[in-house]
Amino acid sequence: MALKRRIGVFVCHCGGNISDHVDVQQVVDGVTGEPGVAVARTHMFTCSDSSQQEMIDQIVEEKLDGLVVASCSPKLHMFTFRGMAERAGLNPYQYVHVNLREQCSWAHTDDKRGATEKGIHLVRAGIAKCALTRPLTALRVETQPRALVIGAGIGGMRAALALGDMGLTVYLVEREEAAGGWARQAGRMGPEDQNGPDVAAGLLERIVQHDTIMLYTNAELTEKSGSIGDFNVKVRVGPTDVVDLNVGAIVVATGFDTYQPAEGEYGWGLDGVIDLAQFRQMLAEGRLERDGKPLRDIAFVYCVGSRQSKSESCPEPNTYCSRYCCTAGTFAATTLHALETELDQTVNQYHLYRDIRTYGHLEMVYEQARREGAIFLRWEPEQPPVVTQADGRLQVKAVDTLAGGDALEIGADLVVLVTGMRPRENDQLNSLLKIPESKDGFYNEIHIKLRPVETVIDGVFIAGTSQGPKTLAESVASSLAAVAKTGGLLMKGYVDLEPLIARVDTDKCTWCDECLKACPYGAIEKTVCGDKEVALVIASVCKGEGGCVPVCPHDAIDIEGFRDDQIRAMIDASLKEATL
Amino acid sequence: MASKVDLQIAAKTRKLGSGDLDKCYHCGICTATCPLSANGVSFPRKVLRNLQLGLKDRLMASPEPWLCYYCGDCSESCPQGAEPGETVMAARRFLTSLYDWTGLSFKLYTSKAWEFGAVIGLGLLVVLAFVIFHGPMVTELTPEGGVQLNSFAPVHVIETFDIVMGGFLALFLLSNVFRMFLHVMGDDRKKIPLKYYFSEIMTLPIHFATQRRWKDCEDPGLWKRHMVLVFGYVTMFVMIVGFLPWFQTEKIHPFWHPQRLLGYLATAALLYVTGYMIVGRIKKSRLIHKFSHSTDWLFLILLFLTSLTGILLHLFRVNGFPMSTYVTYVIHMAILVPMLMIEVPFGKWSHLAYRPLAIYLHKVKQKAAAVK
Repeated sequence: MALKRRIGVFVCHCGGNISDHVDVQQVVDGVTGEPGVAVARTHMFTCSDSSQQEMIDQIVEEKLDGLVVASCSPKLHMFTFRGMAERAGLNPYQYVHVNLREQCSWAHTDDKRGATEKGIHLVRAGIAKCALTRPLTALRVETQPRALVIGAGIGGMRAALALGDMGLTVYLVEREEAAGGWARQAGRMGPEDQNGPDVAAGLLERIVQHDTIMLYTNAELTEKSGSIGDFNVKVRVGPTDVVDLNVGAIVVATGFDTYQPAEGEYGWGLDGVIDLAQFRQMLAEGRLERDGKPLRDIAFVYCVGSRQSKSESCPEPNTYCSRYCCTAGTFAATTLHALETELDQTVNQYHLYRDIRTYGHLEMVYEQARREGAIFLRWEPEQPPVVTQADGRLQVKAVDTLAGGDALEIGADLVVLVTGMRPRENDQLNSLLKIPESKDGFYNEIHIKLRPVETVIDGVFIAGTSQGPKTLAESVASSLAAVAKTGGLLMKGYVDLEPLIARVDTDKCTWCDECLKACPYGAIEKTVCGDKEVALVIASVCKGEGGCVPVCPHDAIDIEGFRDDQIRAMIDASLKEATL
Repeated sequence: MASKVDLQIAAKTRKLGSGDLDKCYHCGICTATCPLSANGVSFPRKVLRNLQLGLKDRLMASPEPWLCYYCGDCSESCPQGAEPGETVMAARRFLTSLYDWTGLSFKLYTSKAWEFGAVIGLGLLVVLAFVIFHGPMVTELTPEGGVQLNSFAPVHVIETFDIVMGGFLALFLLSNVFRMFLHVMGDDRKKIPLKYYFSEIMTLPIHFATQRRWKDCEDPGLWKRHMVLVFGYVTMFVMIVGFLPWFQTEKIHPFWHPQRLLGYLATAALLYVTGYMIVGRIKKSRLIHKFSHSTDWLFLILLFLTSLTGILLHLFRVNGFPMSTYVTYVIHMAILVPMLMIEVPFGKWSHLAYRPLAIYLHKVKQKAAAVK
C-alpha cells in the first residue's frame, strides 16, 4: 500500500530558527528516496501566504495524497496546514506535522551535524506515519435547543434569562427552597449600593414571567447520560417527584459557600465576634447596639479564610484570595458610616487588613471608607491579630506595619471577621458531571484566559463562583460568557467533533470492561454485536485521550491518527541510519 | 506595654491645625521627599500614623516632630492633599501642650478666648501697674537733650521685675523641658550611662545657636531668615533681661556705641523678618504660609509691635519728647510682657528649648545604641 502513496515533504527554514542549526537541504536529500515521497523541498517560511500557495499548487500538480510539513510546534501551526491541505483538496487528516524547531534545532544549537541527522530521523518517521493515514471526516452531532442551568443564584438566573431570550428552552434547577442565592441575605451590596433581596426578587419575577424558562426549586440533578448536544437528565423535584429532561448543554452555576472560621480563629466563638454576613444583617436591620448598649468601637479582620498558609492548625489552607471580601468589608464601612449619620451615633471603625484589594473602580469604595474616618491597620501573616475578651470587652492586639513597633491594643465592642469564599460541597453533582476541580476545589476551566467557561466535558459550561471566588459583577459576566458558548452551540443546531478518537475492533473485543474502567470521560458503553458483548465508544464523548489502549488485553482498541501500525512504522523509520 | 489606639487624639490635633488625617494612605512619598528624614528618624509619615491612631505614648517619646523645620516640600508632593508639613507642625503644638503640665498650653492653642484674653489681660495689668506705680513724669530734658526715662520707670525696679519674670519663664519652661526629657528617654533613662550625656552635651548649644540641620532643607533661605530673627531676638533678650541697667540708660551714647548699634541691628533684624513673614502669610505666597494658626499670627504681630514700639521709644527718648516716650514705654511693656509670658513657656517659642533637646537626646540614644 505504501508504494502507491504520493507524499509531499516540505521542510521549513523558519527564517534561520531551524536552518541555522539543521541543514535543511541535507534533510530534504536524506528523505527524498523514502517510500511514497513524490516531492521534497525547502521553504524559507512554510507558514507564509506565498509558500502555502506554492505548496497547494504542488499538491494539485503532483496529485499528492499525503502531506508532511516539518516546521515549528503543532501547537502553533497544525491547524494552519490542515486548512491549507483542505484548500488543496486533500483530506486534512492525511497531513502530518513534524516539529523540527522546538524538538530539534532549538534543542541542539551546539551540534549542527547531530541535529541534521535527528531531523532526518524525525521527518522519515513523519513520512512513515503519513503513508498509513486514511481520510477521516469530522463527527457531526445534532444539538437539542434546550439548556439546563444548575443553580438559581444571581449568576444562574441571569444565565437562564439570557438563554431564554435567545429563544431556547431553559430548565433552571435550584437545590434550595427559593431562588436568589446569597443575594437574598446580602443586605446592601457594593459598590453601587443595591439591596440584595431586591436584585434577586427582580430577576425572579422576570424568570417566572418568561415563557421558555422552567424553574424547579427544592430540586437536584440525580442522573445524567448522553453527550454534547443531547444529554438526558433526571431531576428530583421536591421529596419524590422526578422529571426527565433532554437538553443540548448544561450550565453549572452552583456558587460558593462562605468560609466557616475554626473555633478560636481570630476569637471566633467569643461573645461579640461575628462574621461579615451577620454584620450585614445587623446593618440591614438598622441597629448599632449589642445587649442594649450602643456600639462605639468595631474592629474588622480581613483575609479570614483566604490567602492562608499551611500550618499545624490549618492543614488544608485556602491559598487563594477571595477577591470580593475587601470590597464587601470597605463597603460595609461606608454603609455603617451612613447608618451612624442616620442614627446620630459615632462608631470608631478599625479595619485590620493584609492588603486592600479593591481593584479597578472598586478603589473608590476603599477611598470613601478612608475619607469617612475608617482606620486601616495593616498586619503581616507572621503576626496575625489576636482577639481576646477581658472585663466584658473585646480586645484586639495587632502589629500595624504602618506604625511599626510592637503590637497595638484596640478595644472593641464588636469584632467582624471578613470571611472569604469556599467551594460548595456538591458530591452528588460532581460524581454525575465529572468536571475536573482545581486543587482549591473549585471547578476548572479548560484555559484560564482563552477558554474560561468551557470544561473538558463537551457541552458542560461553568459560570460564576463555582469556578472560583468572584464579585457579583464578575460572576454575572462569567455567566453570560457561558451563555454565549451555550447559545453558540445550541443555536447552530449541530457541532463538529474531532475524529481522532478510539475505535474498537469488535472481532478481537471480548468485553472485559478494562477500557470502561480506564476512561475518565465515560465514553465506553457495553453493546451487543452479533452474538457477543463488546465495547462501544460513544464518539461524541471520546476525547481520543488513549487511556483505554494499553489496558486492553487483546489489543482491540486503536486511536485514530495514532494507530499501532502507524507508531510501529514511525519507530522503524527512525531507526534507519541517516548518512550525511 | 502595648500602645493603645485612641482615635480621640486625631480630633484634638485637628483643633491644633493638623491636615485631614483621613486623607493619608501611607504611600510614604512625604518621607521620601524630606531631605532631613533618615534611617531611624523617619518622618513625616510616621508622625502622621501616630496621630491617626492616637498613639500618645509613642508620640511623646519620638524626637521626629522636632527634627522637622517645615520647608513644606512634603505637603507639595503629597498626592492626597493630607498636608503632612502642617500636620507635623500641629504635632509640635500637641507635644508642647502635652509637655506643659499646667494645661494652659492646650487652652491657649485651641481657644481664641483664652489666647486673646491672656494677652489683653496681662497687657492691662502692665498698664495698671504703671498707672499706679510709675515714677515722676519729668518734662525737663537731660543735658544731652534726652528724656529722663529712669525717673518714670526706674531701671532698678524694672530690672527686679525682669528677674522675677525671667525666673517665672525659666520655672515653667524648664519643668516642661524636664517632662519632655522623661518621656523621650522612657525606659532608656535608667539604661543609658551618664557619660554619654556628657559626651554629646555640645549638641545643645550648637543646635540652639545655629539650627544647622535646617541648612539641609531644599531652600536655605528659610534657615537664613530664621538665623537673622534668632540674632535679633537673642540679642534683645540678653540686653533686656541680662543687662538692663546697661541697656536702659538716660545717657545718649554715640551712634557707634555697642548699646545703640546692637539695638539698631537687632531691631532691624526683627522688623525685617517679622514684616517679611506677615506679608508672606497675608499673601500666602509660600507653601509654609498657606495655613496660619491664630497663634502664628499672634506671635508675629506681637513681636513686630514690640520691635516697632521699642525703636519709637528710643527715637522719642533721644530726640527729647518726654510724654511720647513715657506713653510708648508703657505700650511697649504692655506688649512685650504678655508676649514673653505666653510664648516662651506655653507657646511657639518653647521650641527654642525643645528642638535642641530633642536632637541632643536622640544623639545620646544613638551613641548608646552604637556602643552596644
